[in-house]
Amino acid sequence: MLPNGKMSKILVVDDEEANVRLLAMSLRSDGHEVLTALSGEQGLETFKKDNPDLVITDIKMPGMDGIEVLKQIKQLDSNTEVIIITGHGDIDNAIEALKFGASDFINKPIRDEVLTVSIKRAEEKIYIKRQLQEHTDNLERRVQQATREITRQSNFLSKLIRSSHEGIIATGQDLKIVIYNPGAQRIFGYLHDEVLNQRKITELLEPELLSFLEQKKPSSGNEQNRKEACVYDKNRELIPVRFYGTPLFEKKEKIGTVCFFQDLREIKRLESELVQNERLAAIGQTVAGVAHGVKNILHGFKGGSYLLNLGLEKNEKGKLRQGWDMIQRNIQRTSELVLDLLSFSKERDPQKQSCQPNTIVVDVCEVMKDLAAKNRIELTTDLDPAIGFTIVDPHSLHQCLANLISNAIDACLFDENVSKKWCVHVKTERVDEQIIRFSVSDTGMGMSPEVKKKLFSSFFSTKGHRGTGLGLLVTRKLIKEHDGSITVDSEQKKGTTFTIELPFCEQVQSADSQSESEDL
Amino acid sequence: MTKKVLVVDDDPDVRLFSTAVIEENGFNPIEAENGEEGMQLLKLEKPDLVILDVLMPRESGVRMFRQIKTNPKFAKIPVIILSGITKKSFLRSQKALTEFGGAEVPEPENYLEKPVEPEELAAAIKSALS
Repeated sequence: MLPNGKMSKILVVDDEEANVRLLAMSLRSDGHEVLTALSGEQGLETFKKDNPDLVITDIKMPGMDGIEVLKQIKQLDSNTEVIIITGHGDIDNAIEALKFGASDFINKPIRDEVLTVSIKRAEEKIYIKRQLQEHTDNLERRVQQATREITRQSNFLSKLIRSSHEGIIATGQDLKIVIYNPGAQRIFGYLHDEVLNQRKITELLEPELLSFLEQKKPSSGNEQNRKEACVYDKNRELIPVRFYGTPLFEKKEKIGTVCFFQDLREIKRLESELVQNERLAAIGQTVAGVAHGVKNILHGFKGGSYLLNLGLEKNEKGKLRQGWDMIQRNIQRTSELVLDLLSFSKERDPQKQSCQPNTIVVDVCEVMKDLAAKNRIELTTDLDPAIGFTIVDPHSLHQCLANLISNAIDACLFDENVSKKWCVHVKTERVDEQIIRFSVSDTGMGMSPEVKKKLFSSFFSTKGHRGTGLGLLVTRKLIKEHDGSITVDSEQKKGTTFTIELPFCEQVQSADSQSESEDL
Repeated sequence: MTKKVLVVDDDPDVRLFSTAVIEENGFNPIEAENGEEGMQLLKLEKPDLVILDVLMPRESGVRMFRQIKTNPKFAKIPVIILSGITKKSFLRSQKALTEFGGAEVPEPENYLEKPVEPEELAAAIKSALS
């Protein structure tokens, strides 16, 4: 029986018809399907037509003999098993047949047990061969499948690399460029063919960036391998890029390098355009704001000189005094506006030094005390002793606090509700290791949401002639210079709280002063 | 009877300037510091002319102008705006308020942008009162 469970199909070839019939009968009775042929030539014909699994052929036949049948069948299908029937003692021919690939030989007269064993052996061979064939086919199929998959993946990868907007350049171990995508071409300007397998990456990059490719360990896309840098293109022009580069490793062995370049030209252009636009807008706003301030002051000067003239014409001392005072007040307003403008527009680094914020608060309150008292406003402080010393620009801090406290007093002055008890409260607080907080609260008029929105925009003032509109703008600028923040919380008719948070950095103490403070 | 001119401005220097010009030209000045005070005086004193600033604390000239021009009792009183704000911005804010559901208001009788010459102010006052 064959491995597929079927009985095998057997072709019997012999020139003696009686032998053929006898053998066929015996085989059929065992359940095999039997084909017969009375000559070698006829055997081959039947073989080609019906493709039996097994051939049993007599060796001695007129015309084409058994050996020839064997040879030709083996040529047609090497998997077919052929059993040769030899005459008694014809050992030489039997050996010859085995050489040509016969699976077995049987001596005449054929004994049924011998035939059965021989067929069984041939069937086993067929079985093994088919198994092998199947296995090989399977393997081939798998290899084909894998090849297709690899081709697909490699196409996918190369498309991916090609269509990436980022420039990608990869090299082998010898640093010769093997991948150079259109993105890289856009940045470097060299054509694909000018570079591929021609140039080394070392010809394209400066040593600073090449150092990324010389690392000893594989990196996993961490930040240290990224850098904003400039590369030279073909025409020696500097192109700004965000660079990421790393050596490639396989099992700890370096196999090449890869670099990614993000073209920053467009971003840089937009950035500078934006900065330029903002600057122009700021200049526009500033000019408009300054013009408004100057117009009011000029009006004051005109009024002053009108009154002076009247006084002179009519010889009235009262008018002279009024006119002169008006001119002096407007001189004062001019200098205030100019000073505010200066500190707003000056690009200066804060003069940071170690100082005590609480002392500055006390100083500012001392200056504001009289103004507050005159207007029935209670000015109180709550200072956190944990603050001690910190590094700030004392002048900036003074200016900011003076600004906020004077705003708070104004918020009370402008309050319509005269029955209210007005307070301005200044509080300092060490929030944690990193932050100190100043808050200035008042119980004044508060702000509408619209006013709150415009609070930090240039020249916005609700104080009419009293404000230059620059106070909070200057305050915010100074706080920004200290990497701090300023926020506001306000409720109409209830009051307002401004909060400044500054980074707390303690005095850099020498070893001596440290031990001193420990002794204390 | 001497005609009354109401000056509304939060800046005392501006009030002083305007009242001096008004007196010199033979009229009777009265003063208010903001729109709210201005409206009270308007009702009490029934002036013949209002010289009004725009940017003032508490109640601005924008609102006071609307109150004058939308009240039939006062709508006929001429108003001269005297401000550092341009006429364009003033009209724009009036237009915005109208669109926001307010009543239509006419343009002010005269608009002077600070700084003004005393002669210019005097001419505007005289022309408004004639």
